[in-house]
Amino acid sequence: MPWRRPRKQVERPIDVRRSLEESLEDAAEGEEEEDLVELVDLDGASIAEAAAGEPDAERHPTEIADKLRESLAGAAITEVRAVPHAPPETLPEHGVDLAVEAARGLWLKNPVLTASGTFGQGVEYAELIDVGRLGAIVNKGTTPRARPGNPQYRIAETPAGILNSIGLENPGAEEVARKYGKVWAKLGVPVIVNVAGYSVADYVFVVEALDGTAGVVAFELNVSCPNVEGGMLFGSDPQLAAQVTRGVKDATDKPVIVKLTPNAPNVVAVAQACEAAGADGLTTINTVLGMRIDVAKRRPMLGTGSGGLSGPALRPIAVHLTYQVAQAVSIPIIGAGGVTSANDALEFLMAGASAVQVGTATFADPTAPLSVIEGLAAYVRAQALASIRDIIGAALPRAE
Amino acid sequence: MLEEGRVVANAQIGELGTLLAVRAPEIAAQAHAGQFVHVRPGIGWDPLLRRPYSFCGIDRRAGEIELIVKPLGTGGEWIAERHVGDALDLLGPLGTSFVVRRDTRNLLLVAGGTGIAPMRVIAEQEAPRRNVTLVMGGRSVAYLWPSDRLPPGVEYLTTTDDGSFGTRGRVTDALPALLGWADQLLACGPWPMLAALGRQRDAADRAAAAFPGGRTLLDAQIAVEQHMGCAMGVCRACVIVTSEGNARVCREGPVFALGDIAFEAGEPATVGVH
Repeated sequence: MPWRRPRKQVERPIDVRRSLEESLEDAAEGEEEEDLVELVDLDGASIAEAAAGEPDAERHPTEIADKLRESLAGAAITEVRAVPHAPPETLPEHGVDLAVEAARGLWLKNPVLTASGTFGQGVEYAELIDVGRLGAIVNKGTTPRARPGNPQYRIAETPAGILNSIGLENPGAEEVARKYGKVWAKLGVPVIVNVAGYSVADYVFVVEALDGTAGVVAFELNVSCPNVEGGMLFGSDPQLAAQVTRGVKDATDKPVIVKLTPNAPNVVAVAQACEAAGADGLTTINTVLGMRIDVAKRRPMLGTGSGGLSGPALRPIAVHLTYQVAQAVSIPIIGAGGVTSANDALEFLMAGASAVQVGTATFADPTAPLSVIEGLAAYVRAQALASIRDIIGAALPRAE
Repeated sequence: MLEEGRVVANAQIGELGTLLAVRAPEIAAQAHAGQFVHVRPGIGWDPLLRRPYSFCGIDRRAGEIELIVKPLGTGGEWIAERHVGDALDLLGPLGTSFVVRRDTRNLLLVAGGTGIAPMRVIAEQEAPRRNVTLVMGGRSVAYLWPSDRLPPGVEYLTTTDDGSFGTRGRVTDALPALLGWADQLLACGPWPMLAALGRQRDAADRAAAAFPGGRTLLDAQIAVEQHMGCAMGVCRACVIVTSEGNARVCREGPVFALGDIAFEAGEPATVGVH
């Protein structure tokens, strides 16, 4: 060690119940720790500082503010502190055929995706779990231009679920492409871009901005947004939903999936209209509108009043709509709504879905999507199935 | 990281909350004052959301952390009721941490309510090397941090709304007399306390020369209390408005420069999910 800051004397009480050796050891251990801290403090010190053993005054007066600016400046993300990908042959799902066609032309190695809005841009949870094991990720809803989102509160807990009213806060399509394009290419998992807008032109703009981005394999349309002309939700009206689907299909060769809203008067009719307009797949379902009241303040808890309900509370509704839509269309369906386990995923698959999205469960248990994959592999093995595809639609009424 | 912690002590701290000591060596090894852990309230899905708690103690040698848990809602109650030996599912350490300048000789810490948590960690860490004064405010004496749980050598001043202990009034009322002394100010507490601090900073910003210790206010750091969804930066439920636009309290925060918070944008949720 070439230099060291002069140490202050620190009094250490001697514990009489312990031997002198032990006490000295304790004290020495503490000193080492403190030295370590001080050396870390001096890491990056100038020569003058090192010589003096003291830092220059005011070296980092604005470190916290600088961090904020750096973090929000929007520089392209090129590196992620991602957990390393495990060798495939060491994974519990290795050797089990879990491949599915999640949408027409979109084959994934397994049927487990992450739901839009619950997995950011994929880079955040990559710090915690091996995202390379997922079938695909769906990014945060992306609009043509940046949106600041809704006022607080944006989230409220409900029985076995949450209400959210985030308001599609996102940096805008071109910024998403610029900021995450590089890192998506090496994340090791296909990316489905979730597209939101307030006119057909909005959806087309987002799709065109991200069509050439590396890693992007398909688009999922969030049609739970109001149309600026008329204010009706795109997804609540078969004709409007078909217009958006057609517009986007004309703009890209990639598979287009429409995420259906359960808030439509006739979800099956919307599903059929989307299929007729060329949709390659459907996601059933987006969140259900809900509300909580803050009884102390005597007003709705969420800043916008109502919000979208997600989580296990939603699952029976989602399974039921999947079951209904599956009997009315022939394109693949991705089930979504309260999936927490392989058993939940099996309900959706047997109801006719070809894949599932795990969403809210990830907030409570970030390993939930991976547990679902492992559980499905264990099921295929235990049931001696040739592949997971064998159980898709198993619970549907048999064709006459 | 995810770590299964093991509760090693559970103590009631007046009306402030339950102090849980949890053995979690991996998290303890990386934790810094101002950061937090996101704790799962059970093993099922109801209640569903994890609860964020700022570190109130970090003992790297013992591999233990301490958290102050207010029994708010069923989730908070479940966590507060954990007994010695119980497991606790922890996600952390998360967020940014306080930066104590190396040239700071006189360090002023300001705490309101459970905002004592990171201030106590800093007091423990910095008392051996600097002059540390901690000012804490609470509704009454029952809401104050006990002085025997502070390291010796820390000057401890208290204010209570009802005058039951220390000076009657708000913690921010006690600051002007100390600002001239302090080289650096760090604070954590409820939004109204932080907003009052923000107003004092604005005043100092307008007339720095006439404001004793104005420099200390201008460079002050605060940790914001906010309820959260994922705490991983994806859900954007916890954002607050800053000079740079929306910032996620879980990622860009919870520690911010006082001057960067747009208090005029209104009060965010600060009472926890319940």
